[in-house]
Amino acid sequence: MLQMSWLIPLFPLLSFILLLLFRKSKSESTAWIGVLLTGISLVMSIGVFLAVWQGEGIKTEGTWFQMGERAITMGFEVNPLNALMLVIVSLVSFLVHLYSKGYMHGDDRFPVFFAYLGLFSFAMLGLVLSPNLLQLYMFWELVGLGSFLLIGFYYFKPEAKAAAKKAFVMTRIGDVGLFIGMVLLFWQVGSFEYDEIFASVKNGDLSSGMLTLTALCIFVGAVGKSGQLPLHTWLPDAMEGPTPVSALIHAATMVAAGVYLVAAMYPLFQASEAALTVVAVVGGLTAIFAASIGLMQKDIKRVLAYSTVSQLGYMMLALGASGYVAGIFHLTTHAFFKALLFLAAGSVIHAVHTQNIEEMGGLWKKLRITGPLFLIGALAISGVPLLSGFFSKDEILASTYADGKYGLFWLAVIAAFMTAFYMFRLFFIVFTGEARGETEKGVHESPGVMTFPMIVLGVLAVVAGYLNTTWFGTFLSDYLAQGAVELPHGDHHGPAWIPLVATLAAALGIALAYLIYQRGTLSRDWITRSLPSLSDVIYNKWYIDEGYDQTVVKGTRGLSKLGVLFDRYIVDGLVTAVTTGVQRLGRVGSRVQNGQVQSYGTAAIFGIVILLLIVALTGGYFS
Amino acid sequence: MNAWLLSILIFSPLLGVLVLMFVPSSDEKSIKWLGVLGTLFPLGIALVVLSAFKMGGDELQLTEKFSWISYEVFQSKGQVSYPIFYEIGVNGLSMVLILLTAVVSVLAAIASFSIKQNWKSYFILFFLLEMGMLGVFAAQNLFLFFIFFEITLIPMFFLIGRWGYLEREKAAYSFLIYNGVGSAILLIVFVALFMKTGTMNFQELAYTFSLPQAELNQLFITKGFKMGMLIALLVAFAVKLPVFPLHSWMVRVHVQAPPAIVMIHSGILLKIGAYGVIVFGAGMFPDQFKSLAFVIGLFGVINLLYGAFLALTQTDVKRVLAYSSVSHMGIVLIGLAAGNTSGMTGAVFQVVSHGLISALLFFLIGALYERSGSSELSAFGGVAKRMPILAGVFLAGGLASLGLPGMSGFISEFMAFLGLFEKMPVLAAVGTLGLILTAVYVLRAVLSITFGAEKEMPESRDLSSSERVPAFVLLAAILFIGIYPAWLNDMLRPTLDAILLGLGG
Repeated sequence: MLQMSWLIPLFPLLSFILLLLFRKSKSESTAWIGVLLTGISLVMSIGVFLAVWQGEGIKTEGTWFQMGERAITMGFEVNPLNALMLVIVSLVSFLVHLYSKGYMHGDDRFPVFFAYLGLFSFAMLGLVLSPNLLQLYMFWELVGLGSFLLIGFYYFKPEAKAAAKKAFVMTRIGDVGLFIGMVLLFWQVGSFEYDEIFASVKNGDLSSGMLTLTALCIFVGAVGKSGQLPLHTWLPDAMEGPTPVSALIHAATMVAAGVYLVAAMYPLFQASEAALTVVAVVGGLTAIFAASIGLMQKDIKRVLAYSTVSQLGYMMLALGASGYVAGIFHLTTHAFFKALLFLAAGSVIHAVHTQNIEEMGGLWKKLRITGPLFLIGALAISGVPLLSGFFSKDEILASTYADGKYGLFWLAVIAAFMTAFYMFRLFFIVFTGEARGETEKGVHESPGVMTFPMIVLGVLAVVAGYLNTTWFGTFLSDYLAQGAVELPHGDHHGPAWIPLVATLAAALGIALAYLIYQRGTLSRDWITRSLPSLSDVIYNKWYIDEGYDQTVVKGTRGLSKLGVLFDRYIVDGLVTAVTTGVQRLGRVGSRVQNGQVQSYGTAAIFGIVILLLIVALTGGYFS
Repeated sequence: MNAWLLSILIFSPLLGVLVLMFVPSSDEKSIKWLGVLGTLFPLGIALVVLSAFKMGGDELQLTEKFSWISYEVFQSKGQVSYPIFYEIGVNGLSMVLILLTAVVSVLAAIASFSIKQNWKSYFILFFLLEMGMLGVFAAQNLFLFFIFFEITLIPMFFLIGRWGYLEREKAAYSFLIYNGVGSAILLIVFVALFMKTGTMNFQELAYTFSLPQAELNQLFITKGFKMGMLIALLVAFAVKLPVFPLHSWMVRVHVQAPPAIVMIHSGILLKIGAYGVIVFGAGMFPDQFKSLAFVIGLFGVINLLYGAFLALTQTDVKRVLAYSSVSHMGIVLIGLAAGNTSGMTGAVFQVVSHGLISALLFFLIGALYERSGSSELSAFGGVAKRMPILAGVFLAGGLASLGLPGMSGFISEFMAFLGLFEKMPVLAAVGTLGLILTAVYVLRAVLSITFGAEKEMPESRDLSSSERVPAFVLLAAILFIGIYPAWLNDMLRPTLDAILLGLGG
C-alpha cells in the first residue's frame, strides 16, 4: 500500500487534465470525474493512514537532476504527520467536490471549477508527501496557484481580481522568506532533505544564530500561507472565491499548510528557543487580534475568515509553546468544524443569495439540516465541552500554561471568549429572530449532494476530539510519537482548572451573544456606543489594509514612478546628450574644413609640434 | 555528411532566400508559407545535428576547420604568416542555443503572418538574421564570431525600421548606435587579443590565457591587460544583454519592433550577450572574472530590481515586458557572478528559459494587437471571456515569467539565487525582493488584460489553430524544462564543468 502512495496526488491531477479537456462541456455530470478521482485518493489515503497507524512508513527518492556532485532529489515520504494530513486533505477535498456539484449548479464554467479544484488537491497532496524542502516549496507555490485561480474564479468581478492578486502577492512575500530559509539551510547542511537537516541540527552543525535565522525565515513562509500577523490581510479578501473553495483552501487545508510546515520542520524550531518564542507570540497575537475583528464583521464569510485566522493563530501558539501534539490536534479538529461552518454558510448563501448577515434571520425553521449543523460547528469552535474543539483548544491552553507563557495563555483565553461570542452572534442573527430583507421568499434547504458532506463533517466535528483525550486515550499523541519529532518531555497537561476556565470563557461568550442578539437584553450597539473609537478601529480591521496602502503600496508605486522619470530624463537623457554632443562636434569639424590652405598648414604644424613633444618627453617609447 | 553538417545548418536559411527570389513579391500567401518552410528546414537540420551530437562529450563536436584568409607580416622575427581559419563547432552550450534559435525562428515565422506589407524583403532579411544567429553560436574563432555578430545587426536594423510601429525609425537608429558602439569595442578587443596571442581560436585563446603568468610575461600579457580586456568585453556585451544603464535602446526596440521580431530579439539576440559573457568572459579570463564577481552580481541585482520597479507602473504591456526582460537578464548576471555550479547552471537555464517565455509572451501580445490594435493595458479587460485559450496561455506565460515551480522560470531563478546565496548572501537576500516585485507586475499586467469587466475589442476570436501551434509548442517547452530539467542540464554539463574548472569550482 505505502509504495503506491505517490499515486494519491496524481488522481486529482488527472482530474484537472481531463476536466480541462472537457472544458466546454455543458453537462454537469463532469463533476463526477472530480468526485470519483478524489474519492480514489481518499480511499488510498485512508489505507496509507491505517498502515502508518500500524507503525509502517516509507521514503523513496530519485535524482531529479544532478548539480555538480550534488543530486537534487524528488520523491515521497509517508510518516505519521503527513499520513494524517493526507486523510484530512483528501477527505475535505472529496467532500467539497461533492458539495460543489450542488453549489456550482448552473455556472457557465462548471467543469473549469472542478478542474481547478483538482489542481489544488494535487498540489496540496503533493506538498504533504514531499520528503524535502525544495519539493515542498514547489508544491507550496502550486497550492498558491490553485488558491489564486479559485479566488479569481469569478474573474469578471473586480473584487475577485483584486483579491486573487492580493492573495498571490501577500503569500509570495512569505514564500520569499521560506525560499531564503531553505537556501541558507542548503548551504549549511548540503541538502534539502528533512532527515539530513534534522541530523545536522542534532549534531550541532549549525550555529545557534543560524538556527534561529533559518527557522525564522521558514516561519515567515508559514506566516504568509497561514494568514498570520502581519501578512493576514489576503485571507479575508480571499472570500471572494466561491464558498466551497473557502471551505477547502481557506479553512481546512492550504492555510493550515503553514502550521504543517512548522510541524514538519519542528526539530529545527525546537533547537532555537528564540524561534519558538516568536512562533508563539505571533500565533497568540494573531489569535486575539483576528478574533477581535471577527466580532463586528457583517459578511458571514468574513466572520468565518477572521475566525480561521484566529484559529490558525491558536495552532501556531501551540507549536510555539512546545505543544506539538496540541497544534496538530487543533489543525485536525479545526479542519472539520471550520469546513463544516463554511459549507453551512455556503448553504445559507445558496438559499438567501446574500452574504450580509443583516439581511438574514429566522432561517432555523427553513433550513432544517443546515441550521443544526451550523450550530454543531459553532459549538465545536467555541470550545463547548464534549465537542471536538473543546479538547483541542484545551490542550493548546494547557501547553501554553505548562510552557510558562502565562501572558499568551490569558490572551488565548480572552480570544476563546471572543470566539464563542462572534460565532453565536452569527448564529443568533442568521438563524433566530425574524426574517429580514426581501430574500426570505422561496428559501429552501440545499440538495442532498450539499447536505451529505455537511453531515459527514458534522459527525467528525463532534467526535474528532476523542482522538486525544485523557479520558479515553491519547491516541493521537501515541500515533504522532512514532514520527521523526521527539515530542517534548514532561506532562503538558496543566492544572485541572484550565478546562474550567476555557469552558467558562466559552459560556460567557455564548451568554453575552444570547443576551444581545437573542433576548435583546442589551442593545446591539451597546459596545459601539460605550467605546466608539475602539469599535471604529476594530470595525475597520485595525486599519491594517489602509496602513499598507499608505506605506508599502504607495511607496513602491512612488519609487517606480521615480524610476520611470529617472529612466526617461537621466538614463535616456544622457544618451541624447552624448549623441547631440557628437553631432555638435561633427558640425565644428565640418566648419574646420573651410578650404583655406593657411589654416590647414597651421593645423599640420601644430600636429607635428605635438608629436615631437611626445617623442621628446617619452624618450621615443612610441617609435 | 557529418563533416559538413554544421555548415549546412548555418547556411540553410539561405535556401529560403534563394527560393523566395523566384516568387513574385505580391504573392502574399506563398511568401508567408515559404517563410515558415524556410525556417522549418534549418530546424530539421538542427535536429539532425542534435542527433549527431554526443551528450556528455566535453570537447567540441562536429568541428570544421578550413584555412580561409592568410596574410604575411614582416616583423623583427622575420616574415610571419597569420592564417585566419573558418572554424566552427558545437559544445553543449552552443548546441542548446542553436536549437533555441531554430525553434524560435520557426515560431516567429508563423507569428510573421501578421506582417502587412513587403513580405518578400521581410522574409529575406528574416532568413539572413537567422543565419547570423546560427553562425554566432557555432563560430569558434573571434573573426567568424564577429562577422556573424555583425550579420545579425543589419537585417535587424531594417526589420525594426521598416516593419515596426510608429517610432520605428528612431528605435532602429537607437539599436544601431548602441550595438555599433558595442561592436566597435568588441572589434578593438578582438584585434588586441589577436595581436598579443597570434590566434583567434577560442580554445587556443583560453589555453594561452591560462598559462602561468611567467610565460604570459614573455608574450607581454600582463594582468592589467587581461583585466582591461575583460572589462571591455563585459561592456560590449552589457550593451547586448542589456545591463543598466545601457538598456534604453532595448526597451525602444521591444516597443517598436513587430512582435515576431521581438520574439527573436528578446528570445535569442539578447542571449548573445549572455553567451559572450560566458564564453569570452568567464571562459577566457576566469581569474579576473572572479575578482569582478561582486560588481557583476551588484549589476545583476540592480538590473533585477530596476527592471522590476520600472515594470510596475508601465501602461503599455510591451513596455512592461521590456523592463521585465531587463529584470530577467539581471538573473543571468546573478548566476554568473556566483560562479559556482548552481549559479552557472541557473544563468544558462535563464538564458534558455527567458528565450522561450519572452517569445511566448510577445507572440501573444502580437495576437492581441492584431485583434485590438493596441497594446495599452487600459485597452483590455476581461479577455478571458471571449478568448479563454489566449487568456489561459497568457496567464501561464506570466506565471512562468514570475517563476512558478513546474515551469522553466522557476528552475533558472532558483539555481541562480541558490548560487549567489553561497557566495554573497546579503546581496542575494536584497535580490529576492525582485521575486516579489516580479509577481506584482506580472499579475498586474496579465490580470488587467484577462480579468475584470469585458472591454469592447474590434475583434475577439480566440487563438486560431495556426496561432495555437507556437503558443502550445512554447508552453510545452517551458513546462518540459520546468518538470524535467535533467535533459537540459545534461546537455550543458560538460561545457559548464569546463568553465567552472577555470573558475575553480
